Amino acid sequence: MHLKYESQLREPLVYGSKTYHDVTEDIVRPIEAKPSKLWYIGFYIAVALLIFGVYSIYRDVTYGIGQWNLNKTIGWGWDITNFVWWVGIGHAGTLISAILLLFRQGWRTGVNRAAEAMTIFAVMCAGQFPIWHMGRVWMAFFVMPYPNTRGPLWVNFNSPLLWDVFAISTYFTVSLLFWYSGLLPDLATVRDRAKTKLRKHLYGVASFGWSGSTKHWQRHESLSLVLAGLSTPLVLSVHTIVSFDFATSVIPGWHTTIFPPYFVAGAVFSGFAMVQSLMIIVRKVFGMEDYVTMGHIEAMNKVIVLTGSIVGVAYLTELFMGWYSQNKYEGYTFWYSRANLFSPYGWSYWGMMACNVISPQIFWFRKMRRNLFVTFFMSVIVNIGMWFERFVIIVTSLYRDYLPSSWAVYYSPTIWEIGFYLGTFGLFFTCFFLFAKYFPVIAIAEIKYVLKTTGESYKEKMGHLEQVPAEVFGHSGHGHTTVDNHAHN
Amino acid sequence: MSDKKYWQSFGELNNSEAYQQSVKDEFKEELPFENEGLLSASTPRRDFLKYLGFSTAAATIAASCEVPVKKAIPFANKPEDIVPGISNYYATTYVNGGEAVSVVAKVRDGRPIKIEGNDLSNITGGGTSARVQASVLDLYDTARLRFPTIGVGEDAKEVTFEAFDKEIAVALGSNPVTILTSSIVSPSTKEIINQFIAKHPGSKHVVYDAVSYSGILLANEATYGKKAIPSYKFDNAKVIVSLGADFLGTWISPIEFSKQYAKGKKINEKNPSMSKHIHFESVASLTGSNADERFLHKPSETGSVAVALLNAINGQAVSIADAKLKAGIEKAAKALTSAKGEALVVSGSNDVNIQIVVNAINEALQSNGKTIDWSATYTYQGVDADFAKLVEEMNAGNVPALFVYGTNPAYSWFAADKFIAGLKKVKVAVSFNGKNDETTQLCKYVIPSHHYLESWGDAEIKTGHYSFLQPTIAPLFKTRQWQDSLLLWNGSTTDYVTYLKTYWSAKVGGENGWDKVLQEGIIAPASTNTVSANFSSSAVANAVSAATSGKKAGKYELVLYQKVTVGATDGASNPWLQELPDPVTKATWDNYLIVSPALAKTLLNIDLTNNGQADAYEVQPPKKVVKVTVNGKTISLPALIIPGTQADTVGIALGYGRSEKIGKAAAGTGQNAFVFTSLNGNTVNYSVADVQLELTNETYKVALTQTHNGYDTAQGNRTEVMKELTLAHFKEDPKEILEDREKELAPFGGLAKFEKDGTIYPVFDRPGIKWGMSVDLNTCTGCSACVVACHAENNVPVVGKPEVLRFHDMHWLRIDRYYSGDMDNPNVVFQPLMCQHCDNAPCENVCPVAATNHSSEGLNQMTYNRCIGTRYCANNCPYKVRRFNWADYTGADSFPDNQKDVLNDVVLMMNDDLTRMVLNPDVTVRSRGVIEKCSFCVQRLQEGKLKAKKESRPLETGNEGKWDLKTACQQACPTNAIVFGNANDSHSAISITRQENKLRSFYSLEQLHVLPNVTYLAKVRNIEEEHAGAEKKEEKEHA
Repeated sequence: MHLKYESQLREPLVYGSKTYHDVTEDIVRPIEAKPSKLWYIGFYIAVALLIFGVYSIYRDVTYGIGQWNLNKTIGWGWDITNFVWWVGIGHAGTLISAILLLFRQGWRTGVNRAAEAMTIFAVMCAGQFPIWHMGRVWMAFFVMPYPNTRGPLWVNFNSPLLWDVFAISTYFTVSLLFWYSGLLPDLATVRDRAKTKLRKHLYGVASFGWSGSTKHWQRHESLSLVLAGLSTPLVLSVHTIVSFDFATSVIPGWHTTIFPPYFVAGAVFSGFAMVQSLMIIVRKVFGMEDYVTMGHIEAMNKVIVLTGSIVGVAYLTELFMGWYSQNKYEGYTFWYSRANLFSPYGWSYWGMMACNVISPQIFWFRKMRRNLFVTFFMSVIVNIGMWFERFVIIVTSLYRDYLPSSWAVYYSPTIWEIGFYLGTFGLFFTCFFLFAKYFPVIAIAEIKYVLKTTGESYKEKMGHLEQVPAEVFGHSGHGHTTVDNHAHN
Repeated sequence: MSDKKYWQSFGELNNSEAYQQSVKDEFKEELPFENEGLLSASTPRRDFLKYLGFSTAAATIAASCEVPVKKAIPFANKPEDIVPGISNYYATTYVNGGEAVSVVAKVRDGRPIKIEGNDLSNITGGGTSARVQASVLDLYDTARLRFPTIGVGEDAKEVTFEAFDKEIAVALGSNPVTILTSSIVSPSTKEIINQFIAKHPGSKHVVYDAVSYSGILLANEATYGKKAIPSYKFDNAKVIVSLGADFLGTWISPIEFSKQYAKGKKINEKNPSMSKHIHFESVASLTGSNADERFLHKPSETGSVAVALLNAINGQAVSIADAKLKAGIEKAAKALTSAKGEALVVSGSNDVNIQIVVNAINEALQSNGKTIDWSATYTYQGVDADFAKLVEEMNAGNVPALFVYGTNPAYSWFAADKFIAGLKKVKVAVSFNGKNDETTQLCKYVIPSHHYLESWGDAEIKTGHYSFLQPTIAPLFKTRQWQDSLLLWNGSTTDYVTYLKTYWSAKVGGENGWDKVLQEGIIAPASTNTVSANFSSSAVANAVSAATSGKKAGKYELVLYQKVTVGATDGASNPWLQELPDPVTKATWDNYLIVSPALAKTLLNIDLTNNGQADAYEVQPPKKVVKVTVNGKTISLPALIIPGTQADTVGIALGYGRSEKIGKAAAGTGQNAFVFTSLNGNTVNYSVADVQLELTNETYKVALTQTHNGYDTAQGNRTEVMKELTLAHFKEDPKEILEDREKELAPFGGLAKFEKDGTIYPVFDRPGIKWGMSVDLNTCTGCSACVVACHAENNVPVVGKPEVLRFHDMHWLRIDRYYSGDMDNPNVVFQPLMCQHCDNAPCENVCPVAATNHSSEGLNQMTYNRCIGTRYCANNCPYKVRRFNWADYTGADSFPDNQKDVLNDVVLMMNDDLTRMVLNPDVTVRSRGVIEKCSFCVQRLQEGKLKAKKESRPLETGNEGKWDLKTACQQACPTNAIVFGNANDSHSAISITRQENKLRSFYSLEQLHVLPNVTYLAKVRNIEEEHAGAEKKEEKEHA
């Protein structure tokens, strides 16, 4: 009979019997200990990739976009595919922290910190593509609306690309603030435990003088709520606006009203998959299985199967509309350039279908949702699939559009295009490794907060209630209706 | 003066305290220089160090960046005629062998930068061809010979003209000289040659043309007693039958013929009629692609086809096995006989007998004197047998001295090795060629002649039609016109200019007359009556039997043809021509083996009816390589599948496989197919009746600019892109296209309300000028003169083969070629496509920085220095006309000289200081990373508007034939298919064209509501009634 304080349906958010001190010790240990060999290997690989990426960009800037295999018909390829892909990945973090915060989903605490960090790094990676894909990147500041002496000459507020500039920069700023404000109490914890002067100084500066006073906590809570309120529409708007890059154009395959919800669902889909990939590694490497529990993983898998199915419905809707509209141009794009496996890019469409729609269906089975290996494998598959989705949308729409005379030759990337993409992986993981080394990867303060209502220690603390007879318990004012009901049984 | 006090206010009158204060305070703020703070300001030591540090660092950084120094030096003494920024135009003549075209050179700041047709010419009427347009670039070719040399190969040493002359005098002695030239069009030069021959006993003049018209010349000698080529009047012909004569592309005088041909193809909507063109050929050609009906035969059957046609016309039976071909011949004969006196048959064969048969056909059709005009004959003189004889003599050691001008047998003669061996036996071999071509490389004495834009001269294009050359620039190098050398070596003291002037002054009425003809560039004969010649039928019977006598034909046959772009002479060294897609194959930078779809299936294992295989063939540039063997000679070429080619016949273009010494553009492009020609009696045969084809495992990348060729797709026929119909359809249902458009636009308000109802945005008035263009697809032959004109006018960069392979070609104007119907022998339509200057342009609203926007005159403008290169506009352009500078093609970049391993040598050569002289200073040279596209030649529009404004009158764009401006493509077009002007002016040519062709007008992709400003006039084919009627009926049944 553990029913008085423990839900039958929900599993505990934290496993094991943890005291507050245990929580601090468990989470701060990686920061205070020397990094493992594995960390170094991973970090160096990431830095190497980053350097290769920087060199790829150097070539692109010095010699021209001709370093890539884009052409007169296919003006965007890997560059914008990767951009949309990274932006999509950058969705889960804010969704977890903001929307789930508003919905009071307790399980978010275990993963929100890492997911938010991932969001920020992913958006940083995403931002590289629209910047470096410009033919004259040294003139990139033209996209900023600022008073100038050229007329003044303003930006074109009609352009979805400009909306992107605003949407992404706003999203990045708010996500960064949200993440960092959440970090403050934890940084203060690290500061307080610091043994060297330098550490104390650095974490002291980073924690903005957090003292843990009630006033601080009160402000912190209000700020979190305000930022959550701000981020929630952003989660939806960013990918909506990214989808406008395509939806507002005239190109068959792009010009589609379904794009905003379809893109947002896809973004959440890929974002959660990326969180899964990262958290499964992190919890293993840092031994945090007690905080990032199977419950977390299962919850996220549920989101994956839901959004994956939404995306699937969107694909089918597109195909249906391609036929139902009787528009020969759209018909060609959807039914020939994409759905026909034997057309030149048919493989990418069916790759996308297999990865995004068909394979995630295994998550209808609880066993699969709770299988670490399957989850990890699927999280990678989903991200491959979502990459294909963006590639399909961009390349298969462009390469055979209106005039058959302009239908393009086969587009495949150059080593520098691939290098740029790998470089963003380098950037992402370099940042993530540094983050994992120097910041608490799990929100200590928030775990401590949920510890009040979940976990073994909570159970132990509440153990004395076992002794109290139900009738007495019911009248003592401790319990609530559930307890009463059970008591009656 | 009174002492009265004048006052402005009570304060002043009373001199109140407040007033005093206000006076005192009027200039209360002291001027800054009186400010103590500023004068005594001091820079504290720390600030000073900061400033010092910053400025030193800044200066170091600035100084360490190497900035290229570009000098613009003004004239010390300004030449009278040169005003910076103002162009001068000089009439001159493009001469390439026997081909001469009256042109006007646009000279800017002393350098010719653009060639236009001479409007005064009644031969070309201001039309040009791609090769004429591109010839200005040859002037600035870095591979031109720059000085006279003596010695062969490595031993060649630069000498002065004096030393050269001295040495030549010694070497020549009293030996007879053989002067070997291409057909000479210049009457004065002919006279100089004759004088030279007279003074050097035993000398002679041999004419050798790389691609000769010997067959016609000899046939005409046999039947008309004249060894000449008469004028053809395609405009007088209601029925034209061509037996493989590519008269719109490469045959004799294509610009003239295109112009005439277009007259017959122009449609008057009120009373639609047009000439009928039936074409018989073996390998798809430009002319065949334009034909109303095309029939395919093997090249070995050409004689039989000609004879069958003759028989059919004479009412005899046709004995041809192939049913389709037989029907075609009968159809052609029927059409021809019903239009006697208004019919014309031409043949591109170089076989004397076939040409005699053709003459007999024309005689039977009463063409002589009507569509064939003997009043003026062309100047082609080369007879292949003469040259063959010369080669024999050279090998026999009987030619002590040989002068070579304008011809290159070491490359183009089928037995080049024999010529080369003979040349080694020639003691004094002198080359006057401007390039170090294959023949010049073997000559000991090389004294390069001028480019035609540096030359004086005259040309008799046809008898009585004279055209003049005058220098448009001082010689760039130490070159000397070859006529000068001949005169000098002949002991004459006058130079060629004086000689020319004397020669003509007498004929044209002294100094003033001479000045006038130079200025106009033209003398045309007064009479324009057509003249017939006496026909003698004695040779016909023999010719008929010879033409049909069984030729041993193999399984596969081969046709050697000239490309419209590169041609058979030095075109391969011209980057503009090399990069110009061949209108038939859409390939650049190479020659290749043309195979039919049927042969592709058996030989290449590519079945174009299989979507997967067709896709793979289209999207992958590597094409399968086929080994072609003729008489033991083998070359390997990639195979391109070109519909409209006879099933068992393959084609190879001449003019490729050149020595890289004639220019970087020529290096490594294609193979020399002249080796497959052969001498057949007196003439060179450009087809081979028996070739072995063998598929290899290799592939070779062919740079195509268009890979997909049909607008009928698996998901519907894209009739919004292109509209074509038959004359019968058009007569029966003239409103068909209008109805089509109405149907397409019905969901958006129909034609009338489309502009307003197709959008949720307000529609604005467009007062003032509104530029518009109309392209008549019926008269556009696809000749591509406009594409090169656009290249030259707008500084469009050359990107080189590796870049074209990556689909990076930069053409602002391209010619789309679509096939429809039967895949083995399809209908072909050419659609010139430039920026459509949409009123509701999709490119404009997607640019984040507003770098592309709309002018009040309806132009879609591109602001290069605002462009940041996101390429969003290019993606969103439904016409895909926007071009991105993927690399620094122009050398205009801020990162100078870093493209060495990025772009190929040709592109780098185009950025040489010499080559850059061809750039049009009115047009910005675009740097790397920006988008560019057709501007409707905005620089010309501004110039034209300014001209009208200065003369205080409204702008004229074809109002009663007066033009203030023309776009470059419009001006170059030999058929006037392109009309441009102010569409808001109801009297302008564009308004009238649109008004008169309402039934044929359409906008490409009109349903998108991008509101383009280029109207296309639908292609109409003159195809037989019953056939078309049946089709129509069928359609109706389907409906």
